[in-house]
Amino acid sequence: MQSINLLMLRQELNDKNILLCFNGPISSGLIQELGDALKNHLQTESTEPSLAMDVFGVFIELTQNIRHYAGRLGYSDAVSSATVVVAQHSNGYQVMAGNIVEPEDGQKLVQRINDLADMDKAALKAAFKKQLREPRAEDSASGAGLGLIDISRKSSVPLSCSLTDAGQGKAFLSILATI
Amino acid sequence: MPVRAKPFSAFLQLSEEKKIMNLQTLFLEQTKNTPKVHADPATGLFTIDGDSYPENSYDFFAPVFEWVEQFLTETGKKLVMHLQIAYMNTSSVKAMMDLFDMMEDAFGSGKKVEVVWFYDPRNERVIEMVEEFMEDCTFPFEIEAR
Repeated sequence: MQSINLLMLRQELNDKNILLCFNGPISSGLIQELGDALKNHLQTESTEPSLAMDVFGVFIELTQNIRHYAGRLGYSDAVSSATVVVAQHSNGYQVMAGNIVEPEDGQKLVQRINDLADMDKAALKAAFKKQLREPRAEDSASGAGLGLIDISRKSSVPLSCSLTDAGQGKAFLSILATI
Repeated sequence: MPVRAKPFSAFLQLSEEKKIMNLQTLFLEQTKNTPKVHADPATGLFTIDGDSYPENSYDFFAPVFEWVEQFLTETGKKLVMHLQIAYMNTSSVKAMMDLFDMMEDAFGSGKKVEVVWFYDPRNERVIEMVEEFMEDCTFPFEIEAR
C-alpha cells in the first residue's frame, strides 16, 4: 500500500502562513468558490474592509487574467491550469499566481510588470485612466489590459514576477502582489 | 399600380407614449458575481445593486447599454441612476465608464441624467473608485453614505 503523509505539506503551508492554495485547472465556478472562501476568511480575521476588498480584487484580477489568456489561446484544461497562493504577510497579504504562457507573451508581460513597478501612484492612476479610454477589441472579453495596472495600484510594494522554462516550448509565469 | 412607399417621416411621428411602450422594464436577478438590475421606463429610475465581477462583463452589461441607449434616444424623460456597487472587477469598471460616457453624450445634447452612488461609509475604497468616475463626468453625480 502506498503511504501518504500530508503533514509535511500542511506544516509547510502553516509555516508560510498560507491560507489558500490551489493548483489545477481553474474554471469560473472555481474562481467564485475560492473567492468566497477568501472573503469569508478575511471577514473572520476581521480584516479592515478596504484591505479585504483589495486582496479579493487582486485575487480576482490575477485568476481572471489567467482564464482569459488560456481561453484566448485555446489552451486545454491541463495547460490552462493555474497555481494560486494567498498568504498572510506581516501586516497585509500576498497573492501569488502562476500559469503556463507562450515564452514571447511571458517576456512581454515581464516587461509590462517591470514598467509598472517603476511607476508611482499618480503615474499608475494616469496609466489606468489612459487604458480605460482605449477602444475595446470586439473579441476581447477582458478588461483590456487594466488588470495588471489595477493590481499594481492596490499593492503596497511593486509587483514581482519571474519567467521560467516549462519545457515543450512553453514558459511558466509567476506573479507576486503584496497588499 | 405601384404602391407608394410610406414616407420615412411617418415612422418618426410615433407618439411619445407609443415609443415608451416599446421599452420594457429591465430586471436582472442578482447572482454571486453580478448585481441586481432594475430599470423602470415609466419613472426613468435605473438601479444597480451588488458587486460586479463576471468574467465577461460586456455580456452582462449588454442589456444595460441597450436599455439606457433606447431610453435616452426615445424618451424625453430624465434618467436617474441609483448605484450601490462596492466591488467591481476591471472589466466592469470599463463597462461602467462606457455607460457614463453614453450618459455624458446625452447630457451634452440636452438630456437630463443624474447618478447617485450609495456606499457603506466603513469602506473608503468605494469613494476613491467613484471619485475617479466623477472626474470624467460633468452631469449631476453624487456619492452618498447609506
